[in-house]
Amino acid sequence: MTTTLIDTAAHSAGYTDKLLLPHWAEIVKIIPEAEGVSTFHFKFTDLEVQARYRFEPGQFNMLYVPGCGEAAISMSSDLETSGGLLVHTIRHVGNVTRAISRLKVGDVVGIRGPFGTSWPLDAIRGMDVVIACGGIGLPPLRGAIYRIIRDRARYGKITLLYGARTPRDLMFPVEYEAWKKADIDMQVTVDRGDDSWTGRVGVVPMWFYHFRVDPHKTAVLTCGPEIMMRFVIYEALARRIPSDQIYVSLERNMKCGQGACGHCQQGPYFICKDGPVFPFRALENIFNVEEY
Amino acid sequence: MTDKTLSVGSTVTLPKPELDLLLADLRKNGYQTVGPHLQNESIVYTKIDGLKDLPRGILSDQKPASYRMIQTGRDRYFDFIPANQSWKQFLFPPRHPLFTAVKEGKWRLIENEEPTPRYALIGVRACELAAINIQDRIFLREDFSDPIYRLRRAGLFILAVNCLDPDATCFCVSMGTGPRHVAGFDLCLTEMDEVFLVEVGSELGRSLLADRTFDLPSAFVQTAASQAVERAARSMGRFMDTSDLPDLLTNNLDAQRWDVVSKRCLSCTNCTLVCPTCFCWDATDQVDILGKSTRRERVWDSCFNPNYSFVVGGNTRPNIRSRYRQWLTHKLGTWKPQFGVLGCVGCGRCITWCPVGIDITEEVAAIRVEVKS
Amino acid sequence: MDSGDLKAALQMIPWFTSLTPEHFNKTADLTHLRHARAGEIFFREGDKQDYVYIVLEGRVSLDIFVPHHGKVRFYTAEPYDVFGWSSVTPGIRQRTAGAVAVLDSTVACIDAEGLRHFAEDDHDFGYLLMRRLANVVASRLMITRLQLIDMFAGPAEIVND
Repeated sequence: MTTTLIDTAAHSAGYTDKLLLPHWAEIVKIIPEAEGVSTFHFKFTDLEVQARYRFEPGQFNMLYVPGCGEAAISMSSDLETSGGLLVHTIRHVGNVTRAISRLKVGDVVGIRGPFGTSWPLDAIRGMDVVIACGGIGLPPLRGAIYRIIRDRARYGKITLLYGARTPRDLMFPVEYEAWKKADIDMQVTVDRGDDSWTGRVGVVPMWFYHFRVDPHKTAVLTCGPEIMMRFVIYEALARRIPSDQIYVSLERNMKCGQGACGHCQQGPYFICKDGPVFPFRALENIFNVEEY
Repeated sequence: MTDKTLSVGSTVTLPKPELDLLLADLRKNGYQTVGPHLQNESIVYTKIDGLKDLPRGILSDQKPASYRMIQTGRDRYFDFIPANQSWKQFLFPPRHPLFTAVKEGKWRLIENEEPTPRYALIGVRACELAAINIQDRIFLREDFSDPIYRLRRAGLFILAVNCLDPDATCFCVSMGTGPRHVAGFDLCLTEMDEVFLVEVGSELGRSLLADRTFDLPSAFVQTAASQAVERAARSMGRFMDTSDLPDLLTNNLDAQRWDVVSKRCLSCTNCTLVCPTCFCWDATDQVDILGKSTRRERVWDSCFNPNYSFVVGGNTRPNIRSRYRQWLTHKLGTWKPQFGVLGCVGCGRCITWCPVGIDITEEVAAIRVEVKS
Repeated sequence: MDSGDLKAALQMIPWFTSLTPEHFNKTADLTHLRHARAGEIFFREGDKQDYVYIVLEGRVSLDIFVPHHGKVRFYTAEPYDVFGWSSVTPGIRQRTAGAVAVLDSTVACIDAEGLRHFAEDDHDFGYLLMRRLANVVASRLMITRLQLIDMFAGPAEIVND
């Protein structure tokens, strides 16, 4: 069975006995980010649930807007940085996420979770880490970045490659300085820039052309549009980084978050419970199959 | 004369009218007796009281895209092979309320308090029981246990029936699921002309049967019944070689055959509706016009639905070829690493109820031929 | 400029180190170093000039002027990136994009006409040159395709839905 590399995460702080029953959580803060993207801070209305809620970066919650439905959204921070609040960076593109964009501080949504597997921050200790992400793929990694910074001495060289369409679409630009100061080599690139942009113009995978990596001790964490991930993986494999040192976060249509409803399957995996974070080794046979 | 003490494992003969009393006893014990019933020129699974509600003297004749019934006029109740309905509708209902959320200032949840029905399934075939066992693996897992399924499954009474007249679309022998029942039932009937031969499968079955007027079977009856089931095993309508599954399908995602079959498939979802092991579902919100109250329900879904795999950025299975391939490579492929067994029980419903008559035994054989060449 | 400095700089470039001493020296003779401040222009669209460039330090942006959008920067050349490579190919003699330093940069500028003649006269060298060029173009093409796919576009902007 090909999932020996995957630990299925214990999930669902909440009801295990009731199907799809959410806990209510109140919006505490809303931060507009790039166009069409905002970060929401939530707190459970039930203090006991709030106190016992735990998650690992890479996991996601199902956010429920009554009357509308649920959406699977990754956590975009970690509990220590957020002071226990649940932080979700949401791109408002579908019915549910657009409904969330109309909510205000004090409004309430239903939350179930956390679900899924997390970034393997323990397994990659002592290694050089290349974090390659793009667009809305940075939020699910931000919690991992915070964790790494807090534990910086335990890791080798950390490179953060981040790409977006234009400079205006870059997520969390105010944090880049702090990350660079924390000894993270951050390389930002945009698909196209204007006169005022003096940063890189290009795509994230091309960084591999310019820098050498030691394949034995380099791990790659990647999250973003599947096309970008595909090329990052391609370049990483071309430099002989082993496929079990490359970790990807997949996205599929998720409805239950618990590996029950069938929607998120790819091959033998339920992305919501066997993923969304996978070592690429587990996906080798199915990742590039068209429309699978 | 003969020792009439019943135990689990005993086999007795039961006059057919005794079945009515057995079902009445079940109802007295709080069970809803459900079973096959002739309705609207088809056989459905619904509430039945006794023999009078069963499809008497009906034999079935199935082909791809065809289910026909033949009147035999005989006093037999289980000669037919089941039609499109399966027992999954009782354990995994097509629609089921989850909760209601109401907004009175704040949002409040009202959980669904409907009591769980207790069902006695009357006339479960071996393939159908195998399907229930497969769904047990799906719905009752260590990391996730579906409460709706769990509660209904816990209270289930199974009156099984051995098939004697398989149809042209049956291939339970290939899948190792029948036609003879081996275990997992409370009582199991083999129908003879005059009587039912009844095997006791559980303590519950034993205690119910103990109140009936039964007899010990003669060697003749036992042999006749046994031979009838063996004859059934030898007259399967179809055959599927499973020796190279799941790899035959999961290693050949690029087979030409997917293009061939997708030209016929309508993506109508019939196969997933009639399949007794398909388990996909969705949750929907039914909101009132003021937006102050919403009822959340769990409903059946199908991987053939065009938006089944819709994510922001597009649909990961945007055409029939990819959806048909997903269904078959899951059912006879990735199901195995997921649940430990293949997902098909050989009931043949998908063949019979496909409007264009796609036959999965033929598809698997065709892929095998293509791969070997 | 000291030719020793130049040769030392060129020896940092992987392709150069794979040349024979003769090929290296001849190429170095065609090359001069330019130190550009941020904002200095190397060439504009439409220019007829004949150099191929290799960035040693800094960053040079390539741009195209699009009416109503102004100058769109579609690529930045980082250290050891080549730009202006089209002057090595026969035929194209006008710049199809502009190049401007966005950071203070040191750039090796190679006389493309001299390079083309050298390649014609010495086919061994010519092969090495074209092979390197093919790699540059291939990777540039891959990058351009990813940019073209517009993978960060939101679903509302995906035309073929």
